Amino acid sequence: MSLWVDKHRPRDLMKLDYHKDQAIRLKSLVQQSDFPHLLVYGPSGAGKKTRIMCLLRELYGSGAERLRQETMHFTTPSNKKIEIMTVSSNYHIEVNPTDVGIHDRVVIMDLVKNVAQTHQIDSSGQREFKVVILNEVDDLTKDAQHALRRTMEKYVATCRLILIANSISRVIPAIRSRCLTIRVPAPTESEIANVLHIVCKKEGLSLPTELAMRIAKSSDRNLRRALLMCEASKVQQYPFTADQKVPEPDWQIFIKDTARMALSEQSPKKLGEVRQKLYELIIHGIPPDIIFAGLLKELVRNCDMSMKCQIASHAAQFEHRMRLGNKPIFHLEAFVAKFMAIYKKFMEDSLGDVF
Amino acid sequence: MQKERKWFKPIFEFNETSSPKKNKRNDAKNKSPTYEKPSKRHNSNTTYNFNDKNWMKNFEPVNIEDVAVHYKKIHEVEEWMRTACNKSNNDMLLLSGPVGSGKTATVRTLASKYNIKVTEWITPVDIEYPSVLGDYEIKESQSKKFLEFIINSANFTSLLDNNSCKLVLVEDFPNVFIRSPTEFTDVLQQYKHRAKSPIVFICSETHADNKNTAFHLFTASLKEQFNIHHIMFNSVSATGLKAALKRAVDIISKKYTFTYNIPTADLIESIVNSSGGDIRSAILNLHFASLKGSQFNLETSIIKEKEVKNKTSRKKKSVSNKFMSLGKDQTVSILHGVGRVLNPKEITTSDGHKIMSHAPKDIIDQFLSHPSSFINFLEENYLPHFSCINDVDKALMALSEGDCLISEWREKICQEYGLYVAIAGLMTANKSPVSAWNPVRGPKNMKIQYPSLSELPILEPNYLYKGKVLVTDYLTYTKIIGS
Repeated sequence: MSLWVDKHRPRDLMKLDYHKDQAIRLKSLVQQSDFPHLLVYGPSGAGKKTRIMCLLRELYGSGAERLRQETMHFTTPSNKKIEIMTVSSNYHIEVNPTDVGIHDRVVIMDLVKNVAQTHQIDSSGQREFKVVILNEVDDLTKDAQHALRRTMEKYVATCRLILIANSISRVIPAIRSRCLTIRVPAPTESEIANVLHIVCKKEGLSLPTELAMRIAKSSDRNLRRALLMCEASKVQQYPFTADQKVPEPDWQIFIKDTARMALSEQSPKKLGEVRQKLYELIIHGIPPDIIFAGLLKELVRNCDMSMKCQIASHAAQFEHRMRLGNKPIFHLEAFVAKFMAIYKKFMEDSLGDVF
Repeated sequence: MQKERKWFKPIFEFNETSSPKKNKRNDAKNKSPTYEKPSKRHNSNTTYNFNDKNWMKNFEPVNIEDVAVHYKKIHEVEEWMRTACNKSNNDMLLLSGPVGSGKTATVRTLASKYNIKVTEWITPVDIEYPSVLGDYEIKESQSKKFLEFIINSANFTSLLDNNSCKLVLVEDFPNVFIRSPTEFTDVLQQYKHRAKSPIVFICSETHADNKNTAFHLFTASLKEQFNIHHIMFNSVSATGLKAALKRAVDIISKKYTFTYNIPTADLIESIVNSSGGDIRSAILNLHFASLKGSQFNLETSIIKEKEVKNKTSRKKKSVSNKFMSLGKDQTVSILHGVGRVLNPKEITTSDGHKIMSHAPKDIIDQFLSHPSSFINFLEENYLPHFSCINDVDKALMALSEGDCLISEWREKICQEYGLYVAIAGLMTANKSPVSAWNPVRGPKNMKIQYPSLSELPILEPNYLYKGKVLVTDYLTYTKIIGS
């Protein structure tokens, strides 16, 4: 039994459910003989990977879908052995270089070199190049990004890179200019609801329109999450009812709790408790930027407009610093402390007015 | 005495030169506690040779009372040595302590007191030169050599000695053992089986844990297995240092007035203050500070330190002098530094300004650890010291700025600035500190553990999932769906 997300993933560019215009362009791109490096970006759950897999199928035929997992080993210049998971077919290889942290440069250089130095044995009727897919390019270290720039130029004859990122703002301009950038916007809520209907129909289930819209709304325009939510709701209660509970991700509930703690009391002791919660979130792998966004959304809920503005600007400042710095917890904590200070002053002022 | 020595001196001259230390000791022990001039022994030349390498020896302790170690510690070692040598079995003793705390001096002086012959292992230099053909000679392994040496010296007496008691001393551990501690266990095992003399290991402790031999090589289980007696030395106390320096001054004023100026009490005081409990460095400083030859006195370069309250002994304010050019750099351990930052002390100077007893700059200068690890410590521990959220906000602002600066690794100066921003910010932010005992905690391990694919069996096996996506999207729902 596989998940709906995997089972009903479109395999052909022409069968995509939204952004059809873009799909046609992609198809015509592949039909031309040459094909540049690609930088595909867009929010999580928008369908970037799906489009790339369709593209590969268009390029190489169904052979690109026969995947196998492999663990590759690399040695860093400091003689540290690192290993990384790759998924590959005969025509492409996919890897998450950020899995190895600061050693990502070694992975990129060695991997691309390995792939690029081997030519296709039978090039008749096939493309002359292989494809390397790199995930989370925006989270690569600057070092690795510069290494990538050089590698892209050097091996352009035998391999094409497809880079995947959430946002291109953290990709260095040198890479941006060497790639054809393709933006995959998040699907609208109605598009998500539409996909949910299609999937439910394939599964032989009937989905009330209201529920589909509610799932789409609570999914943050993330199709993957919407499909998982839908399947989870089905497990919890079927037949569907229009007003049934849609399960939220548990970390979102956790962030809401944390925000509530900060609102309940503004003292160093409470901040200590909030910090423990933040630690837990970070250690479990919730990306700090998502924590930031979640906290901000919850904290400003009962603030007036001027305070909202103030807090949001501080959040932006700390979020920016977090990107520059090494320790996300510092900046998250600083933001919570800032909020507490502002909120406490506001409460004291408004109480003062009452008396 | 002199006559007695004469009969072997010309014949076994090599012995005299190779281990002058030992012979000197044995001579000295039979004599009265006063010092004899080395010049007398070496040659008939009465003027002191200025370039004599052994000038340090002039100040070495002769009697056990002269050793600047607490008498109880000495007694402990003495007790062990007596029993071990009487039984003449293969007991093992481990001495550890900071550098210059008198470990070796204690052992050597005690050995001479009880007429025990000390044989010390010194790791040979084994740089291998390739032969003409370019291949390397295969040499015996260091550990093998070491084992052979300690067992031979434990079991066989030298023909030149009539001593019955022997002691093997190991201060210089071959590097092999640091790399593979198991080999060391094997050596000890062999020693236990075959040797017939006690052995003493001396380890200097350093601040850096990774180089601490006493800690690494002699694990608790090892100590238990071989019944190793462990005596820990502390750094020499100020009174001990003073007494030792006083003795040195006595020696100077008695015999070496032609090479040294007689040091003043002030000078001694500053040497004691700047040596930080290291007797060896104190003697070196004394030597340098009181050597004749310079036109003007070194005392002019003594800096008067600002008044420092002496916390431990409830004395009044004591003025501590330090040399500008001499003495060890003060270093501060990480925990000490954390304490200084989080509990800043303010002192009011005579002209009414408030200054900090430890300026942020001083703390940074005295630091050995990496800035980011220190900031992590601060971050973990600052919170219980604050009572007001506004102060916390300011402190965190500084920490967050500091973190930004520190992560700029391409500019080395940024690390220092970042540390400064964070430390100064923390020290000045707290307007209403909470005074309570707060144990210092180590920073949290923030390694992210993404769920492994084996925990989530529903997922496609041959698909590359991103860790972030697994956590944010899949984890919650696969639990529901899979149940």
